Amino acid sequence: MNTSVTSIKLVLLGEAAVGKSSIVLRFVSNDFAENKEPTIGAAFLTQRVTINEHTVKFEIWDTAGQERFASLAPMYYRNAQAALVVYDVTKPQSFIKARHWVKELHEQASKDIIIALVGNKIDMLQEGGERKVAREEGEKLAEEKGLLFFETSAKTGENVNDVFLGIGEKIPLKTAEEQNSASNERESNNQRVDLNAANDGTSANSACSC
Amino acid sequence: MSFFDSLRQKAPFLDKLADSFTPTLTRDEKFRLKYKLPANENILEDTNAEVSFATSIKDGKGHSDRVNNKGRKTAYVYSGRLFLTPHFLVFRDAFDHSSCVLILNISTIKRVERSPSESYEFALLVTLYTGAKVLIQFIGIRYRSEQFCDKLKLNLKENIPNAKTLPAFLETSYSEFLIAKNILGKKDITVPRAGLGQHFKYPGNPTMVKEKAKLRLWFDYFRENGRNLAVVQTPMFRKLIRIGVPNRMRGEIWELCSGAMYMRYANSGEYERILNENAGKTSQAIDEIEKDLKRSLPEYSAYQTEEGIQRLRNVLTAYSWKNPDVGYCQAMNIVVAGFLIFMSEEQAFWCLCNLCDIYVPGYYSKTMYGTLLDQRVFESFVEDRMPVLWEYILQHDIQLSVVSLPWFLSLFFTSMPLEYAVRIMDIFFMNGSITLFQVALAVLKINADDILQADDDGMFIAIIKHYFQTLGQSAHPDSSDIKYRQITKFQELLVTAFKEFSVISEEMAMHARHKYEKGIFQNIETFMKRTQLRHMPKTFNLSSDDLSNIYDMFYQSIETYKISMGTGSSNMGFEVFIQFLSKFCDSCRPCEKDKDPAFRKQKRNFLQRLFDNWDSAHIGELTLNDVVTGLDKLVTVDLLQAINYFFSLYDTDGDGELHREEVLQLSEGLLLLTEPWKSGRYVDLLTKKRIEDDIAENIIKESGGEIATMNQIELPTGVTIDEEKYKVEQAERYLKAASNFLQRSFEYAKAVDLAEEVNLIDLSDDEGEEKRTVKQKQLESIKANAALDPTHPKVIDLPTFRMIILADETYELFFSNTLRSSVHVDEHVNIDNKNKVLRSMFDGILADGKRVAEQVRRRVDSVATRSSIASVESTPTAAASSITTKEEKYDDLDDFTSEHQPENEELLQSSWFEIDDANETSTKAIQERSFEPLSANSSEEKSNLIEFEA
Repeated sequence: MNTSVTSIKLVLLGEAAVGKSSIVLRFVSNDFAENKEPTIGAAFLTQRVTINEHTVKFEIWDTAGQERFASLAPMYYRNAQAALVVYDVTKPQSFIKARHWVKELHEQASKDIIIALVGNKIDMLQEGGERKVAREEGEKLAEEKGLLFFETSAKTGENVNDVFLGIGEKIPLKTAEEQNSASNERESNNQRVDLNAANDGTSANSACSC
Repeated sequence: MSFFDSLRQKAPFLDKLADSFTPTLTRDEKFRLKYKLPANENILEDTNAEVSFATSIKDGKGHSDRVNNKGRKTAYVYSGRLFLTPHFLVFRDAFDHSSCVLILNISTIKRVERSPSESYEFALLVTLYTGAKVLIQFIGIRYRSEQFCDKLKLNLKENIPNAKTLPAFLETSYSEFLIAKNILGKKDITVPRAGLGQHFKYPGNPTMVKEKAKLRLWFDYFRENGRNLAVVQTPMFRKLIRIGVPNRMRGEIWELCSGAMYMRYANSGEYERILNENAGKTSQAIDEIEKDLKRSLPEYSAYQTEEGIQRLRNVLTAYSWKNPDVGYCQAMNIVVAGFLIFMSEEQAFWCLCNLCDIYVPGYYSKTMYGTLLDQRVFESFVEDRMPVLWEYILQHDIQLSVVSLPWFLSLFFTSMPLEYAVRIMDIFFMNGSITLFQVALAVLKINADDILQADDDGMFIAIIKHYFQTLGQSAHPDSSDIKYRQITKFQELLVTAFKEFSVISEEMAMHARHKYEKGIFQNIETFMKRTQLRHMPKTFNLSSDDLSNIYDMFYQSIETYKISMGTGSSNMGFEVFIQFLSKFCDSCRPCEKDKDPAFRKQKRNFLQRLFDNWDSAHIGELTLNDVVTGLDKLVTVDLLQAINYFFSLYDTDGDGELHREEVLQLSEGLLLLTEPWKSGRYVDLLTKKRIEDDIAENIIKESGGEIATMNQIELPTGVTIDEEKYKVEQAERYLKAASNFLQRSFEYAKAVDLAEEVNLIDLSDDEGEEKRTVKQKQLESIKANAALDPTHPKVIDLPTFRMIILADETYELFFSNTLRSSVHVDEHVNIDNKNKVLRSMFDGILADGKRVAEQVRRRVDSVATRSSIASVESTPTAAASSITTKEEKYDDLDDFTSEHQPENEELLQSSWFEIDDANETSTKAIQERSFEPLSANSSEEKSNLIEFEA
């Protein structure tokens, strides 16, 4: 296994209560909490995964969603290499907000930031919730703006790891070319996320110690 | 304040001062802040006095040696100052202002009598509802003391209705319950309705013994020193708070210390009223609250029940209605959830009010400026007190705010286990927001050694998180001394925070806030502007620079709205709208004619029409987006669109036809809009062209038709332009256009079937002279044209209107260019900055001189190529007479032919005499600047020549 570790600073943005923190919790601790307290300001968590025999350490900045916290966001997306812009597929307003965030990131964040557009809460569709943002709408926005696109459920875990995997794949290609040139033979069918952090369930910070 | 306002008008930069986060407090404000009194409690009287207290309780348990033989206690006598406000009597000792502080709501006073006193001339004996007595001995001049007593008497009289509400209020007080149960022996008395903790248990595992012991201490204190609305605060009071308030007392002590109790007493029923009045209404805040209800201290069992959720919902929504500027901010849900464990809904509501108003202003505002500011202040404290740690944090690029912001914003409720967080709150309500800084500093200090090992945010956060989770453990587990081992981390934290960091004072925080607020506000304003500009409606004619400029002017106009604080309405009312447009629209600028009331009325009518048209939500107010959309239509570059838009302003019913009355109003609007050109304050392109033509004509005359090559051309050296002549011509042209317009309108109007009585003649009374001429002409037209017979109503439709406008050169130009270029959205307007105005006018003249010269030269070029045609082209009027050459002014003119500047279209459109009384200057400037010797750059001219021929 490659000993070098690539750190990826990743920031989550999106309207309040779309499930930003839950996506992170699922990714970092493979856990879900029904009534999670809103994030005040921001939270920071880390998770290591192995992509193509290369260790990637995600430094995740999870931000508060309420409109008035938006002025704090630049503090957290500063120097971020990747961003998840999250919306709730049952809340059209949250998709509008996602558009704004994409715009803001393109204008204000680092030039080569990788953005993934994530429609969350698809589990609610099975539970009788009505879809208000069509998959095509999300795909269209993603195509227009050059974003990765996923629909996820933090509750069931569906697609959550794929989001981070997708981002992880894009970034080493860009930044770690030199250090990684030898291992360029990509075994495309061998790409797995290795959730190597054994979680004790207390909190995500366990992931930081690894 | 009026003095300040007038200063403000003179110097806009002083605005910043007015926005100041901590404006200098008045004596009354300081006083209210100190004793947490409601907003209207101003000091009416104050005097030096000596005060002593005697409790009424004769339960024999008074083990103090202050009981004399008669069974009445004599107490210490405190010397200090006594204040009277409309509803309070406040006394504080002279020694340290905290040995004895009496805060007495006058509703608690049962009787006041003059007391015989040996050593004092004047003394009052005040008997309270509890039977306790306060002896006030006045020090000072007799008549002042009398005055104080008279005021007190008056207040007491006025307060009688309030005093009647006291018994009901006291029933909600736990301290009264405690006294009643234990002293008066009322065993069947019910516990006052309090927080959720009553049924859902209080957080932590308070041993019953300890809780009981603490309650006993408070019981003793209340008996001795009074309670709730009439309490003497001594050092013991603060000590009891520091050791931790018993859970059952906590709600009341928070309420008392924060002054929320005074608010609740003074505003009895208000909370219920707000809830009832707004029942069923929705708002953005309500939506946001609903999202978070289940996410507020979810681990506390009450918040997994509908009862707990409902209480939380009520308090948060009531507050969002009470203070819509704040509405709802995440973290308030957590704080209120914390309050509600110990307090009733009404108590928590008023506590939240005072929290937002007094303790942490701006924390939860729409821009959260208070939070951002205090984070900066906190950083400066860390830098100052723990420089090594600060250096380390900087080096490792650790975001301190990631951990500290939630501490401040949710008052440690989410960071620490509840049982400890509420202990911090005990002290917070007593000592104010400085408590947050002290505790936060202590947390960093205690963990400094570990933090210095952390090399990224993750480890830093982990250290702090671990620390908070182990607050109950021993701070010194390895110590050999058992006593030392027993000290918990939480106790250590309190000692560090309130002993070591007691040097961090409220004054220091204020000082630091002053220092950093400007930067913080600027950041917020930049951010807000960027965000809002991004969310602007799509514009076709306004550039992003224009939008930025409009944004600035918009918010400069709405003085009540503070961008950085996020308070006040951000919409524009009609009066402000008039002011706003007058800053950058030539037609709306204040002018001489404003003195004419009829003209003013027309102006208002037109602006009202425009305002209503822009007001997309029909709320009588414009949003920034309304203004942008409206201006975008107004400055359209498309001639037909401009005409259509103007038509639509008057076609209020949208049927595509204007009736007679509407046509008349439209013509009034046109007259009004064209007034600046009619009165000669500005010139339009037609006039400009005329002038240039005349000049060119003149030059050709001078040269006597002998222009063979470009090099031979010589410009006349000085030219006076007969300004008056052009002004008159222009005015005539506009008047003619106006009268033609009306005449044609009615000429081409189509007949409609329904008869409509309009008396045109009636309209001419109470009108300005300008108007009267027009009316006169209208009348003439009517007489001349049978079609205009008012008994046969006619309408004109949009195509007709377009045709009429396009038939007139002046009006066509007006819609294609003049109007658009008279709306200076690109010009940054600095309110009341006279220097700027003068300067831009001067710049205009200067550039215009050049411009004229440019045109002349071009003219000469064309003349050179087509000299025979030139004379035919130029208007065959007495143009030459208006231009006289003045040889003597030849000498010191610059040679600027070498710099063939690209034309500045904007400058071209500004006028040569923007301000009437500056005519002399402008004329002179033109004389000096316009006609300079021209030694043409032959190669360049040749290329022009070729282009021209091609």
